[in-house]
Amino acid sequence: MSQAGSYSPTEIVDRTRTWVRENFLYMRPDWKFGDDDPLLGSGVIDSIGVVELVEFLQSAFRIKVADDEIVEQNLGTLTAIGRFVHGKLPGNGTSPAPAQSGEKNTAGAGMLLRPRA
Amino acid sequence: MCGFAGIARRDASGVAPAVLQRMAAAIRHRGPDGLGAHADARVGLAHARLSIIDLAGGAQPMANGDGTLVIVYNGEIFNFPDLKDELAARGYVFRTRSDTEVLLHAYAEWGEAMLDRLNGQFAFVIYDRRDGSLFLTRDRFGILPLYYAERGGDLYFGSEVKALLASGEVPRALDPAGLDEVFTFWAARPPRTPFLGICALEPGCCARWHGGRLTIRRWYTLDFAARAAEQPGALEQLAELMHSGVRQRLLADVPVGGYLSGGLDSSAVCALATRESSAELRTFSVAFADPRFDESAHQEAVAAAVRSRHAVQHIGPADIAQVFPEVIRHTETPLVRTAPAPLYLLSRLARERGIKVVLSGEGADELFYGYDLFKETVVRQFCLRQPDSTTRPRLFDRLYPYLAPGTRAGDFWRRFFLSAGSTDDPLFSHLPRFRLTAWIKEFYSAEFRAGLDGFDALGELRDALPPAFAGWSTLQRAAYLEMVTLLSPYLLSSQGDRMAMAHGVEARVPYLDHRVFEFAAALPDRSKLRGLQEKEILRRWAANVLPASAAQRTKQPYRAPDVPAFFGRAEGEPPAYVAELLDESALKRGGIFDPAAARGLVRRCRTGQATGVREGQALVAILSTQLWQREFLETPLESGAMRYESGRFVLAN
Repeated sequence: MSQAGSYSPTEIVDRTRTWVRENFLYMRPDWKFGDDDPLLGSGVIDSIGVVELVEFLQSAFRIKVADDEIVEQNLGTLTAIGRFVHGKLPGNGTSPAPAQSGEKNTAGAGMLLRPRA
Repeated sequence: MCGFAGIARRDASGVAPAVLQRMAAAIRHRGPDGLGAHADARVGLAHARLSIIDLAGGAQPMANGDGTLVIVYNGEIFNFPDLKDELAARGYVFRTRSDTEVLLHAYAEWGEAMLDRLNGQFAFVIYDRRDGSLFLTRDRFGILPLYYAERGGDLYFGSEVKALLASGEVPRALDPAGLDEVFTFWAARPPRTPFLGICALEPGCCARWHGGRLTIRRWYTLDFAARAAEQPGALEQLAELMHSGVRQRLLADVPVGGYLSGGLDSSAVCALATRESSAELRTFSVAFADPRFDESAHQEAVAAAVRSRHAVQHIGPADIAQVFPEVIRHTETPLVRTAPAPLYLLSRLARERGIKVVLSGEGADELFYGYDLFKETVVRQFCLRQPDSTTRPRLFDRLYPYLAPGTRAGDFWRRFFLSAGSTDDPLFSHLPRFRLTAWIKEFYSAEFRAGLDGFDALGELRDALPPAFAGWSTLQRAAYLEMVTLLSPYLLSSQGDRMAMAHGVEARVPYLDHRVFEFAAALPDRSKLRGLQEKEILRRWAANVLPASAAQRTKQPYRAPDVPAFFGRAEGEPPAYVAELLDESALKRGGIFDPAAARGLVRRCRTGQATGVREGQALVAILSTQLWQREFLETPLESGAMRYESGRFVLAN
């Protein structure tokens, strides 16, 4: 077992996989679930599950996850999680993928977003 | 309102009075004021009566003057005084003040074409002794129930499935496809039910049984041929329709009350009811101890504004679990939500306060695009036009502010809606809900899954869409799907008729006056959903009827606790049946769900980890299915007991 703060990406992936299996795939133990399979698109995790996942990563690996880091690029697959969490550990210095900058509102969005009459 | 049941024999072998008595007794809760029966060599009819109009003279089964027609009837024809005048002018003589007799004479005069003249909520069966046939029908939207089963040329029918089962001649077996539809749409889609071989007559359909053969035809079609622009005077027309609809629905020889949710629809109905009636209106509401579900502040404000005498049914932490087995006994179907349970307690309260008839706001959200689903559909369509946009999906956060994950789950939360399905799919509007619900199927046992053998609930629905569907707008399609998959088989049944009639209370639904539906269906979409403002024209109208705070209130969906209702900390230990039915051997006996999978779910429920919609609905589904099996099926599912043939399940022997 690694000391806190010195997990390898493989260890992060393994612990997360076990946790995902226990909490999200308990009803389908035979589900073939690869490290690069999408967690969301395949229906493994729903949006509430994402909140749980973030809480798990924060407490298991003692990291802080910012709201704008909760994106598919960082948390979409086990491999992505391994890379993202590893980059956040003290001394590893790799910056995680930030959320993409937003586009400007189009006329249509403005219409939908206008204040209630 | 009432309940009825009966049997028609192909051969003149008779119907034993004891059988009729059993069938009527099974639905006695629907009609505690009297029982009646009629039997001859071929046909037996039984009736349990809830007296609302012509308390002294409306007993059933009722025959016409020369005894050629006999009727059993559940419901109300709101325009019956006009029909009665018309029939009297044609020479018909009336012996009672009831609408039942109007139906008999209307049938004698106009035959099946009588249906187009009826404004009401009804299910009835007329025994035409002239040719020995039966005529069965149900109202346009399925407000009232009618089930039937055919067996060897004999026909069994009744207001509830339990009446058919009580005959002892209709087998108790589950229809896997019916269950699979519950776990897709929230209810089996008529004519299918969760019971093998027992059908629900589709809303807007009628049937003729003659000589051992049943022929069904549709007499009312949901049509959405909208005009390009709102017609001048539309608002006045809506006002007139609502006033007339509520006025007609106050017609009763007993006091009428109202259900008040705190939202716009029921508030407007109750406000009109106080205006149209000289009597003080009694209103009833559900209040939750859990503030996430509670709307009591709004309910009290509306009750004060309409000056009703208001009573509140408080739902404490343990109440839902306590009544849940009774709820399932009345819904006669597994559920994916606990929302019917508070309504079961609410009708009990109304009945205890002496109210047999209540007005409800059901239907407005389908007719005037009130549900979030309509906005969600527009936003999904808008996002999918520019799939790379990161700004557009943020509209979902605004749609569902009451769902906690909106912020913290960020990107993932929004992706759920965007990945749910293509705009080319005719079911586009409903795919997120159907997919979310279908997650329950992850818990199926391997045997049950194999037994479904390729059954495709969504594929069957796509195949059953009417020809006009392709020509409707996305929102009109959504409204149609909402009406046929949710309103009729779930909201009007499990949350509507069944919960009200469990305590002998009749719910009347003014928005489902067919004239209101036809008015709403002909409106352009933007009169119903403007930007993200739902029920636009209804709000304009309600501003003249209600205080501004109520007329402008944003729709809050009616929800009830699921996992916390059974495993919450404040509740203490759940009732014994919960552990009993979720036990590994009980689940194994049931055969539908995988015991190990259910064990994982229960573990997460117990530890408070199961906080999402998916696991909440899975728990309700598993528990309610177990209750439903225990209540209605004598024998557990045995593999090989049924097979799938030409699109339906059949008993193997």
